[in-house]
Amino acid sequence: MEPDLILLGVMLIGLTLYSLLGGADFGAGVWEFNTALRAPEKEQALIYRAIGPVWEANHVWLIFVVVGLFAGFPGAFSAIFRALWVPLLLALVGIVFRGVGFIFRTYASGISEKYMWGAVFAFASTGAPFFLGASLGAILSGELEFTDDGGFAGDYLTGWISSMSVFSAFFGVGVCAFLAAVYLTREAHLAGDGALCKKWRTRAMASGLWMGVLAIVGLGLMAAEVPYLWEGFKTRAWPLIGGSVAAGCFSLWALRRGRFTGATVGAALAVASVVLGGGVALYPALVPPAITVESARAPRDVLWALVACVVLGVAILTPSMIYLLRLFKGKKPAAA
Amino acid sequence: MEPLLAARLQMALTLGFHIVFACFGMGLPILLLVAEGRYLKTGDAEWRTLARRWSSAFAVLFAVGAVSGTVLSFEMGLLWPRFMGTYGPVLGLPFTLEAIAFFVEAIFAGIYLYGWDRMSPRAHWLSGFPIAIAGLASAVFVVTANAWMNCPRGFTLQGDKLIAAEPIKAMLNPASAPQVVHMILAAGLVCGFGVASVYAAARLLGKDSPRMRHAMTLGLVMGVICAPLQAVSGDWAARMVAQTQPVKFAALEGQFKTEARAPLRIGGIPDPESETTRYAIEIPGGLSWLAFGDADHVVKGLDQVPKSDRPPVPIVHLAFQAMIGIGLFLLAIAAWTGVSLAWRRRLPQSRPFLWTVVVAGPLAAIGLEAGWVVTEVGRQPWIAQGWMRTRDAVTNAPGIGWSLAAAVAIYAILTAGTIVALRHLARK
Repeated sequence: MEPDLILLGVMLIGLTLYSLLGGADFGAGVWEFNTALRAPEKEQALIYRAIGPVWEANHVWLIFVVVGLFAGFPGAFSAIFRALWVPLLLALVGIVFRGVGFIFRTYASGISEKYMWGAVFAFASTGAPFFLGASLGAILSGELEFTDDGGFAGDYLTGWISSMSVFSAFFGVGVCAFLAAVYLTREAHLAGDGALCKKWRTRAMASGLWMGVLAIVGLGLMAAEVPYLWEGFKTRAWPLIGGSVAAGCFSLWALRRGRFTGATVGAALAVASVVLGGGVALYPALVPPAITVESARAPRDVLWALVACVVLGVAILTPSMIYLLRLFKGKKPAAA
Repeated sequence: MEPLLAARLQMALTLGFHIVFACFGMGLPILLLVAEGRYLKTGDAEWRTLARRWSSAFAVLFAVGAVSGTVLSFEMGLLWPRFMGTYGPVLGLPFTLEAIAFFVEAIFAGIYLYGWDRMSPRAHWLSGFPIAIAGLASAVFVVTANAWMNCPRGFTLQGDKLIAAEPIKAMLNPASAPQVVHMILAAGLVCGFGVASVYAAARLLGKDSPRMRHAMTLGLVMGVICAPLQAVSGDWAARMVAQTQPVKFAALEGQFKTEARAPLRIGGIPDPESETTRYAIEIPGGLSWLAFGDADHVVKGLDQVPKSDRPPVPIVHLAFQAMIGIGLFLLAIAAWTGVSLAWRRRLPQSRPFLWTVVVAGPLAAIGLEAGWVVTEVGRQPWIAQGWMRTRDAVTNAPGIGWSLAAAVAIYAILTAGTIVALRHLARK
């Protein structure tokens, strides 16, 4: 096994987990718009209780992917961070205000201050996945070109905008909202709040159907606009896309039948398959058309050192993560 | 504004902001462990209340530290893509290890902060240890990467393409050990005196309770232990700089001429035009003796390199003097405390002492910032000493001035929000 493949696989898994865990945190903020930022106290309490213990850990996945990219594939890293100067800066602003919005709201002193930071949290929770999605879409579009010395050949301000990046931006926000709605249905159910559970179930099903429509539009867009990626999907990634459709349908069915743990697993699998499928379809390109795994990767000894780090990390982090999730996401979450 | 300057200022602002939070992220878990440990041992509920209140403050500081750290990981690519594109893999090992350590910190911070009523008291206390250990480990890894920029090694270039790297050798560069120790002790000073300063101020305002005395004692003890150790580690770090980065050393000492029996300058204003440092109190042979253990040893001056290879000497020299001055001030507080402990068997309680401690908190943070100015500005014009210039590393994206302006506004909001949240917690 080649070290660059192992590392790429690990980074793709990291990106998937970021989408599933960090994405759901973003999604919870997206839903605050649904109540015009004035969600009933009980509803907000559910969100904040669900996110509180886990959000810091959920967002480390992103750092993990960024570090893996510059350490293992510096050619791709420096290209991406040049070409996507604008959307990444905007995503960063979203990430910052999402984090501090949440924590400042938790420790706010008055009602108006609470609403202010709640609104900041909602806007940032939407902006971050929007611009991260746009960035991923811009990479997938295959329209980022570079000069011989590595500079970005396109326009720094607008070169990242394409049909694919705009689609991915909305798709990213939608994925987050869907995941959050499904997870929160389960949490409301476990907390024994029937009314709230019903509310979230409706939201989960509505956003799930909407995401299904969006996914079909996305495939069509890809076939028309990004032929190389469509080729990758047709030849390699199709089982994952099929799996995603199946898991998504299962999740909706389970929601209807009130099997919320099953719905959670189904929703997570549906989203994970999309992320993994995108990665598989993209390979061996990293930033198409020109930058590939081979042209971007670090020297072998570095790659092996990183793989060793990952093994160490898995050994330490897996039990820690399981303990965290068992404590806060197990069958019986505390009343308050 | 010139793009290079804007990029450097943005990096300085965001790093200078983050480092303060990182210090509390390292120091507070240790104080929390002590406070909660005292509660488990004595059953005195005051200690538990103290630990719970500190854990809320830690939640705020840790969250702001985490997002400002995320900003830095992005900025390395957004602002310095050419540096990361070439040398990223050499620094990959410490940064990956740092990511793992931060992960551990984040997981156990969640467990610790939200687990007060879900775990046995003992299990809860134990869950604080990974936070403290991972916090220190993060510092080790990140500072190692910075040390590499000062003493780059462990890699092979072909043209400007990296063809081989020895990540372990890169991590174990000569600057790593002294810089890591210096940074961890600095975190102890900033956190210890920062905490003590808050409670000293409260006592001066006439508030007093056993809990507040406990709190001030813990902070003060942390600072007082670190202060003398920091003096020793500072000497170690300075001698390392003298050996490995003679130009930076000359800049921080205001030493323009290469000379034997170089004097130690206290204060003084370096003038790069006339290549002299004026108005300094000079101790003949002092610098040669401090740096090389021999008062007649030759100290290399800035004249060893052309002007284009020199850092901005006045900034570096003044920052260095400020850091040393503050370090000595904190050392004096440690001595004051030590004498009182030896003489009266208790911590000093007088108003002048409380006032001194109040001042020491912000001063320790200023000393920390001055230290980073010394090491970062002192390395200019290089981003990787001797290998890549900062101006060759910066992005050619437009609008860095705008992103700097946005960063200033955003960090002002973060600062205000943090202060409001902490004040609210203090009043509760």
